[in-house]
Amino acid sequence: MRRSALTGWLLLTPSLLLLGGLVVFPILYNVWLSLFNKHAFLPVQQFVGLGHYRYFSTDPEFWASFRHGVVYAGATMVLQIGVGVPAALLLNEAFRGRNLLRGIVLFPYMIPTIVAVILWKWLLNDSYGLVNHLLTTARLSDHAIPWLGPDYIMTSLIVTSVWQFFPFVVVTYLARLQTIPPELYEAATVDGASAWRRFVHVTLPQTASVLFVIVLLRSIWMFTKFDTVWLLAGEGGVSKYVRTLPVYAYARSFTYLQAGMGAALAVIMFVMLLVATAIYFQAFRGEETFA
Amino acid sequence: MRARRSAALYGLGTVLLLLGAFPLFWMLSTSLKPSGEIFATPPRLVPLHPTLENFWRLFADTRFTLFFENSVAVAGATVLLTLSVSALGAYSLTRYTFRGRDTVAGLILLTYMFAPIMIIIPFYILVKQFGLVNTRLALVLSYTTFCLPFCLWLLRAFFQSIPLELEEAALVDGAHRGKAVWYVVLPLALPGLIAAAIFTFILAWNDFLFALVLISSEELKTLPVGVNDLFNATIVDWGLIMAAGVMITLPTVVFFAAVQRYLVQGWTAGGVKG
Repeated sequence: MRRSALTGWLLLTPSLLLLGGLVVFPILYNVWLSLFNKHAFLPVQQFVGLGHYRYFSTDPEFWASFRHGVVYAGATMVLQIGVGVPAALLLNEAFRGRNLLRGIVLFPYMIPTIVAVILWKWLLNDSYGLVNHLLTTARLSDHAIPWLGPDYIMTSLIVTSVWQFFPFVVVTYLARLQTIPPELYEAATVDGASAWRRFVHVTLPQTASVLFVIVLLRSIWMFTKFDTVWLLAGEGGVSKYVRTLPVYAYARSFTYLQAGMGAALAVIMFVMLLVATAIYFQAFRGEETFA
Repeated sequence: MRARRSAALYGLGTVLLLLGAFPLFWMLSTSLKPSGEIFATPPRLVPLHPTLENFWRLFADTRFTLFFENSVAVAGATVLLTLSVSALGAYSLTRYTFRGRDTVAGLILLTYMFAPIMIIIPFYILVKQFGLVNTRLALVLSYTTFCLPFCLWLLRAFFQSIPLELEEAALVDGAHRGKAVWYVVLPLALPGLIAAAIFTFILAWNDFLFALVLISSEELKTLPVGVNDLFNATIVDWGLIMAAGVMITLPTVVFFAAVQRYLVQGWTAGGVKG
């Protein structure tokens, strides 16, 4: 028995070493780092205590990044669910070609972010893009819209991100839909419930807990998304209209080489997510369905 | 009623098909157009004179093949390392009982919640202190760490579903433990191993942030960073960029088509981050 426990730990050691050394330790080191003025390359460091945190509390760039992040995460989360849930409901119905469609719908989520970004940059190109061509041909707009200019860059970023990430909602929601016992629908049909009423009274309560998880995960992951935002808007020019906290943390650390400040931003993001998650759980705790 | 219902289903299905696949189709179509056609108004859905010229230029005029090889090497090594480490760990979590086992499993899942951007700064400084900046090893280690929690949980679920009796029967027949695992457990967990391998490959293949921060040498760049560099030219060469996009997407699509049924199974078992 004791030998068996030892073997158990031994087999787990490589995993624990990797996670401990490359995730847990860096996170603790990051908290420590946030108390210093630290150059990203040079070994210079100087203790500043909570100085970085005080600086950010009145830093307009920080608050602008925070607002962008809330708008971006909120809008993309709502729209991903708005597209993903109906798509999952459709893919739960029986029709020919359903399995093929289930596979194809996953593509946007599987391809590299760089591909999603280059193809939307091309679709949204102001002079030669297909989107502007279709809009002007359909007379929905009398001029070419500068989708990647200051006024529209946030819209374009949201569109690109929703397209890229809605398949996550489809698959997760569909997996739960498939486990709803058919008897529940049969009983509702016998009672003469319409499709809409069946959705409200059977599907929604059954899927409430998975929706709870989807909202939580998508919000967290969109709030901490770096690559889509950075690749679409770059570092100069229009980037200031969509800069979110992850991009700001990257810029502080690797453009201005202020690693201590970047580390403080990472800590702030972590605390924000922790608080938001706690509030979220608190708000829905009382309701039986969100177990 | 029935006809109307199925017409509605196919109508909505077509909308969903266009939403998911049309942007990718448009990328493919653009990559096959000669430069004159790319900027033609009105744009043509299918190239009038399809050509592979953009692809030839991609291979001849840019360092695309080098980046491609780098990506293959890094993603391949990541898959091997992640699968070995997580298979050992998952076997331990399902076949041995020891104090704190379930706590450890829970804590491992917790590390999955950290976004790359939240640890990239200390990670970079540590990697630099160990002299690993600008090495493939740094990339492989970071991707392995990020895939590990997911793969451990996925394989744990698969190992749990394999009856202990099968293994014990092999042991009674005189096989030692390693042999029993190799010939009994791993083949039965194959769908899980394949799903874990594909997810790991895709994560390593797609990553941008770690590759951007940890690699500065042109010789070691992977595809996402290399392709993004194509934008830094004064005139954006759309044909070339779309050809690059097609080439990066190809391995993903091929893998995906080959093992789709395993993937959906794995996805439901573990939930996948992105």
